[in-house]
Amino acid sequence: MKVVATLLAFFFLLLGLAYGLGYVNAFTSGAHSHHFTHLVVCWVLALLCLVWARFQGAPARR
Amino acid sequence: MTLAQALFLAVLQGVSELFPISSLGHTILVPAVLGWHNIDRSDPTFLAFVVVLHLGTAIALLVFYRDEWIAIVKALVASVARGKLDPANREESIGWRLVVGTIPVGILGVILEAPVRHLFASPAVAAAFLAVNGGIMFLGEYLRRRERTALDRPDIPIEGMSYGQSVLVGLAQSAALLPGISRSGASIVAGLLCDLDHESAARYSFLLATPVILAASLLEIPKLFAPGAHLVAFEAVAGGVLAAIAAYCSVAFLTRYFKNNDLRPFGWYCLIAGTVCFVLARMGVIS
Repeated sequence: MKVVATLLAFFFLLLGLAYGLGYVNAFTSGAHSHHFTHLVVCWVLALLCLVWARFQGAPARR
Repeated sequence: MTLAQALFLAVLQGVSELFPISSLGHTILVPAVLGWHNIDRSDPTFLAFVVVLHLGTAIALLVFYRDEWIAIVKALVASVARGKLDPANREESIGWRLVVGTIPVGILGVILEAPVRHLFASPAVAAAFLAVNGGIMFLGEYLRRRERTALDRPDIPIEGMSYGQSVLVGLAQSAALLPGISRSGASIVAGLLCDLDHESAARYSFLLATPVILAASLLEIPKLFAPGAHLVAFEAVAGGVLAAIAAYCSVAFLTRYFKNNDLRPFGWYCLIAGTVCFVLARMGVIS
């Protein structure tokens, strides 16, 4: 699961970047512009995926 | 927009954002009923003013629940640093349920907000959804009573909800994208159906609303500096402060109210106001 979470984080990071640069316009109100809100939401999701990965990878408590 | 209109809308926003009666529906219906045709909801100045009102509401919620938020944020940071969940830690459990519950409205809000606002922002539609909102509250109360009677299940605390239930409450909150459907009403009903009592369901709803309203208003801050947005400083400050005071008083009242009361009075209000406004809109009296 840690690998899945890390891959998802990477995906959201790139997706956010693509929205921010205006390369992706799906689910937006205007095409060919910088979608700051989508960038922020994607990066927050990426951060949450990293947190998820962190919870998967903690060493067992003795 | 005159100063009196701005101050009235500020109080209306602060109250209706937290009462389960739909702030979006009221900001469409009330100006229409009062015949304020000088207010253009797509005008950059009006949009900037709405951002300030939302900021005021979010700050009021943060201030009201300040001790709880400090404890929750500390617990979340500690659990990430530890890399392990501690189910015995109440604040941590509530915090992660808030995080999980916020994800649906964050995603759906970004995807659907613009098209939904474009499709449904008319007084007739807002009035119809306001009446539906009343029906949702009656249905929620009915289902809760029926479950209580038939299954005799005890109430659970917020931290007793499963993560799946937290997502369901978050999804219910997303229904507020429709003008006339209340964010707090939908999430309180969903909380009740997840076996929370009224007080806990309302508290969870207000805690869940805080990051959403705050994030939405912070992300909209560029609208304050948009070309064509000529926000008068006094109007903005007075509006924001009034919205904050109204929201603080509302949340203080509602947390006391839900200790011993239910959603039905708000259901009656929404049903009657929604039906009357719908009829008036269909007759062309309001537009």
